[in-house]
This record gives sequence, C-alpha cells and structure tokens, in this order.
Amino acid sequence: MITDNRQYLEPKKVYIPLTDKTSKIANLKVAAQDNVLTGQIIAEKFNGKIKTPVISTISGTVIGFEERLDRFGKIIDHAIIENDFKDRSIELKPLEDEVAPAMIRNRLTECGIDQLTVDGIYTDIDFSRPVKHIIINAIYTNEPFISKDYEFIKKHAEEIADGITLLGIASHAETMTLIVDKFMDEETVDNLGKATVDKGIEVVIINSKKVQAWDYKIAKKLVNETLSNNLLDNQIIYTSVFAAKVTHDAVRLGIPLTKRQIAITGDAYKVNTLYEVRIGTPLSEISEELGGYDETSDLNIHVGSFLTGYQLESDEFSITASVDSINVSSLRIEKEEVCIKCGDCNDICPAGILPQNIMDAELRNVNSRIVDLNTHECVECGLCTYVCPSKINVLEWVRRAKRRVG
Amino acid sequence: MEFITKKPPIKSNQQRSYKRSLNLHISLIIISLAAILTRAFIAVPEGEVWLPDAMFKTFLMLLTGAFISVLIELLYSIGEGKSHEFSNYKRLVDPINTGLIIALLLPTSTPIYVLLLAVIIGVYAGKIVFGGNGYYIFNPALVGVLFVNLSFANQITYGETPLVLLKNALAGQTYTLKLLDLFVGNYAAIAIGSTSVILLVVIFAYLLVTRVIDLRISGTFILTILIVSAGIGFVNFGTASGLMWQYVLVNMITGLTMFAAVFLVSESVSSPTSRETKMIYAVVVAILTMTVRTLGAEIEGIVFAILFGNMITPFLNRTVKRSNKKIFIRTSIILLVVVIFTGFALGFIVQSRLQEIFSAAVIGGLF
Repeated sequence: MITDNRQYLEPKKVYIPLTDKTSKIANLKVAAQDNVLTGQIIAEKFNGKIKTPVISTISGTVIGFEERLDRFGKIIDHAIIENDFKDRSIELKPLEDEVAPAMIRNRLTECGIDQLTVDGIYTDIDFSRPVKHIIINAIYTNEPFISKDYEFIKKHAEEIADGITLLGIASHAETMTLIVDKFMDEETVDNLGKATVDKGIEVVIINSKKVQAWDYKIAKKLVNETLSNNLLDNQIIYTSVFAAKVTHDAVRLGIPLTKRQIAITGDAYKVNTLYEVRIGTPLSEISEELGGYDETSDLNIHVGSFLTGYQLESDEFSITASVDSINVSSLRIEKEEVCIKCGDCNDICPAGILPQNIMDAELRNVNSRIVDLNTHECVECGLCTYVCPSKINVLEWVRRAKRRVG
Repeated sequence: MEFITKKPPIKSNQQRSYKRSLNLHISLIIISLAAILTRAFIAVPEGEVWLPDAMFKTFLMLLTGAFISVLIELLYSIGEGKSHEFSNYKRLVDPINTGLIIALLLPTSTPIYVLLLAVIIGVYAGKIVFGGNGYYIFNPALVGVLFVNLSFANQITYGETPLVLLKNALAGQTYTLKLLDLFVGNYAAIAIGSTSVILLVVIFAYLLVTRVIDLRISGTFILTILIVSAGIGFVNFGTASGLMWQYVLVNMITGLTMFAAVFLVSESVSSPTSRETKMIYAVVVAILTMTVRTLGAEIEGIVFAILFGNMITPFLNRTVKRSNKKIFIRTSIILLVVVIFTGFALGFIVQSRLQEIFSAAVIGGLF
C-alpha cells in the first residue's frame, strides 16, 4: 500500500548510462571536467543506423566515466556528473498550437524521449518505422498487485490527452487508443474523459483484477494479424501515460526529460512511497533516504512489472527513464510440484500457443516439435507461470525452448 | 549489500495443485459416506445378505482400498528412502483418493481379496511403475478395476441394475422403474459409487467452482451421453411413447455416468491439455461408453472407454499446434455433427437395420 508522496530531485552526483536495452553503442560528446547544462547532449547512442542522444539530467561538471550495473543487470559505461545545484538548463522554444510532425519528432529526440517503457510488450517511442496505431496504457504497470492512487493522471489529464494527440501527429497514426481501468476512481476517469473528448482518442475500459494480457488482445484486435515480439513490427507504438505527459512537456513547454515518477514498494521498506526522482540517481541513495532496508531476511530487488520485470543483484544501479516501479521484499519461493497437466497455461496464453506442450517437448528434447508448436510467437508475458497451480516456472521452459531453436 | 535473484515472474495466483487434490479428497469422502448410507435403502433378495452386513461390507471395502493404497506407496517410498514424506497428511491425500476410487468402482458383492488385487495392480502397475503422481498415462484406479473386471468376472456380481433392464428393453422386454428411487440412489447399483445423482450433481458443481474438474471435459461428456442416448432412444422407441425420454434419463442418472463425469473423465494427468483436444477426448469416451452399453457384452462401458481415451491422449496432444477461437468453434461444430450421427447410427445398429438403411439410401438413390 503506497502511503507517501515524496521527491528526491537534488542528488550530489548522477550516474547516466550511455547505452540501453536496444542501443548498444555510444559516442561521447563531452570529456571529463567539462561543464554541462541540464538537457545538454553528453553522448549519442546507436541502434543500428538510428541515432538517439543521451542528455544530462542536471547541470554541473562531468567528473568521469565508470563501468556500473544498469537496470537490466548488465555492466555498462556510465557518465558521472557532479551537481552544482544551480539547475541551469538549455533553452528550448515552446511550440504552440499546430505543430509539424517533423518538429515534434526532433523535439522528442532533443529531449531524450525514446525508451520510457520496457516491460512486457511495451515499445520504445520510435518513429523510424511507419506507425499506424498508438496505444497508451493509463493503468499502473503492477496494478493488480500494487494499488496506487491516480493523482498523476488526475492532475495532468489535459496534458496527457495533448501528449497523445502530439504522438499521433508525429507518427501519422490512424488510431489512438487509451486503456483505462474499470476500478479507477470516478474523478480520474472523469478528468480523462473530459480531456480526451473530441480528440479522436478511443477509450477502452478493462478489468485489471482479472490478469489476462488485455493489452495484447487490444493490439491484436487493432491490427488483426499475428503479433510479433516487438509491436513496432506490427506498426504499433504502445507506451504509458507518463510518455504522453513528457511529450506534452517537451513540445509545449520545452522541458527536457530529467525527472521520473516511480513507485518504491516492498516489505523491506518502512514506508512505501511514490517518488519523483532525478534520472540517474542510484537506488541505494533513495533507499538511504527511506531509512534503509529491513535486513532480517533474504531480500530481492525487482524492477518493473511483477510478471516480466528484471531481478538485480545489487541496488547500485541508477534509475533511468524506463524504470517505473521498484519492489524490494523478502524472497518468495514456493515449492514446485509436479505438472498435473491441467492445461491452465494453454487456456490463458494470449498468443494462442500451448506452453504445456512446449515444456513437454523441451523436456524430451524434440526440436521439430518445438518448431511445430510456433514457439517463436511467445511474447514472454509470464501469464503461464502466473496461473500454474503447481508453481512451475513455465515461462522459463518456453524461453529455453525458444533459445534452443533460435 | 547483496540481493538474491530469482527468475521472474515473481507473482502467481491463488490456485494450488495440492488444494485441488484436497478438494477431490473431501468430495470422495462425502461420496463414500453417502455410498455407505444408501446401502441401507437397497432391497436385497430374501435371505441372501443381511442389510447391516451390506453396509459394513461397503465400509470395509472403502477402508481396505484406501489403506492398501497408502501401504503400497509407503512400502515403495521406504525402498526409495523417502518415507519421511508420509508423516505429512499432504502426501497421503493422493494414495487415499486412488484407493477410494477403486473401491467405489466395484459392487458390494466383490470379495475383499479381489479388491486387494485391484488396488495392488492399480497403484503399483498403474501408477508407481510410471513414476507416481503426475506421470502415469492411464488412470491408475481404472487399470486396477479393469484387471479384476476381466479376471474375476464370476466373483463380481450385481443384480438387476437399471442398465441391465435397459439393455433388455432394447431387445423388446418391458420394465418398470421408480424415478424417485433412481434420484436418491435406491436401486441395485453396478458399483458402490453410483449413489444418489443429486449429491453427485452438487459435488460436480463444487468441484467445478474449485476448478478441480474441467467443464470442457465433463460437460462435453455429459452432453454427448445425452445426445447419443436420445438418438438411440428415438430410433428404437420413437417420440410418441415416454420410453425414449426414460431411456435418456436412466442412461444419464444411473450407472456410472455422473460418477465418471465427476471423478474419472476429468482426471487431469491422464487427459489432454488443450481446449480442443479435451473436447475430442470427452466425445470419444462418451461415444465408446454408449457403444459398449448398447452393443457390448458388458453392462457398463465406462472403464474401457476412459482407458481407451487415456491411450489416445498422447496422440491427441501431438496433433494440436495452437489453440484459438476459430479452431475451437470449428472443432465444436464437427464434434456435434459426429455425435448426432453416432447416436442415430448406434440406434440402427442395435436394431440390425443398418444394412437396410444403407440399401435404402444408396440403392434407392441410384435407381
């Protein structure tokens, strides 16, 4: 249960990862001891031919570069910037009223808005390929598991609606869909409804208490074809309301992306809070601010959605724009029982493949059978493991099968 | 500080395999108690068995079944060095379930040594040989019951059960049955387990809610029995007299139809895993059951039918590649056509009129 709303916006140093999940190579644009402004480009990362900038999130001095753990559990280069607490920012001209698509795209690139959501089937904000549909999820990632008040949406409903429209203009999208929850409080839904009316945004209401890959089904209905692992292949951009809000800020107000609102939860903390933090702050600093961990039992850190997130070995990673929730809690391990072949995983699979049969084929090492069962269509949503009554990690077996046949 | 990692997903729902087998356990115990009580109603032939004797015999059979089943698994686990698991009741639930089902599938007249053999064959050859719970390919209880049904046919006797009367009715004899008696379980039963159909329906609903049984198997099974028996009834008795509906009703509520729908068909380990194959499996089992009931020498065909279903389960599992709405609807429609056709075909075969129908259809059409 989240009880507090806090801010941590002035860290002494920030550690900014130079690469991310998709862009693996980076070119530096600054040297050690250079002074940088908030929003200044410090490096350019490459995903194939696509170039996206890495921006500084505070103003101050670059004091060096270091190999550190990032939020995906990989050791990569980070730029370390010391804060001068003056918050001098680069100047970006606000764009009013009608904006050309190319201008929005350039502005989003300038402000460092590309990878904001990485969990599950979320996609990057990527305009290098044609896009037909935009789906925005207004539901908190861990919604059925961590409840949250919708202050953020309530307060920024107008900006979110504007952001969605801007994303639609930038990508020449045909449809814009907003996913909202049946259990949202009335005020939030009212505000969203008022803001999105007459903007061509379709609002879809789902029941988040029933965990069953609603977003996958909505996307499938839109394109009416088999979905690939990356929705960008199906000409869909799927992202969260936070992306719409920062799009609005970047275009209409000229504010680069330097802050992120994250939920920090778990029984290892004394209080569970909604934090507004500066991007690049290590989790360990925030944990200290929260009063440290309750170290009576073995702890684990989970970043992102409970079904598809990442588990890390250390809390020294810095928070990036793609972190939306962090859970630190005592280890939950349930004893695996033998598969009773009930077929619950086969029923729930949103891709319509048969996880139990794939697991069986993987156990028997039958490659041809794994190929026959369309294993490559698995989007790793984790629902098969979620529903398993024997607590088998079915997803892990399917992943192995996928890796075996390539 | 160091943190421990575990492969996500880290969250799962409230369903547990153990809870499912525990629910089945509770249901089986309720049915066992009901079975013992219903013995008190059944009129036995004059001077043959004393009434409390039948009740005690039923109780003894159920107790022996459960006890021997646990004993065999315990002895085997001592050999494996895993006997400490048996200090927990959790480990006892599954052996007791198997033992009770075997006892419930045999009639009261069964000698205890026959029951003993059934349990030994079922639990050892049907279950432990394959690796215990979760690995067997045939329903272990049915393996044991089939063995004694074939080997000790003379020792296993039952009176004029409703299904025997039905079989004779197809040959032209008349019979009378009281409907109320059938509903409360007051008739010469083919097995201890075929008790009050009302109680079985209540337990069916309970197990459906707790997700122990699958509606796609049990529901399809019941529906298929209904349609096929209606087809046979229509061909043999016509709609004019109430005999057709009586035939359907007796087939539905007596014999082992409901008992199988609750405890046997939907046994998850030995049945297929995807939606479509589950329905195909249920239809195959139901059609075979009705075939044996009408054409076979045996009175009740369910044991053969389910074992045959288990036999083709690996094949069914191998035929599916994916599961979606389109395939599901197509399978349902094909199955419905097959079931209706089979119902009428069985009806004509019973009357030995298939040749006649065939000639009428083919030759009549040609000339």
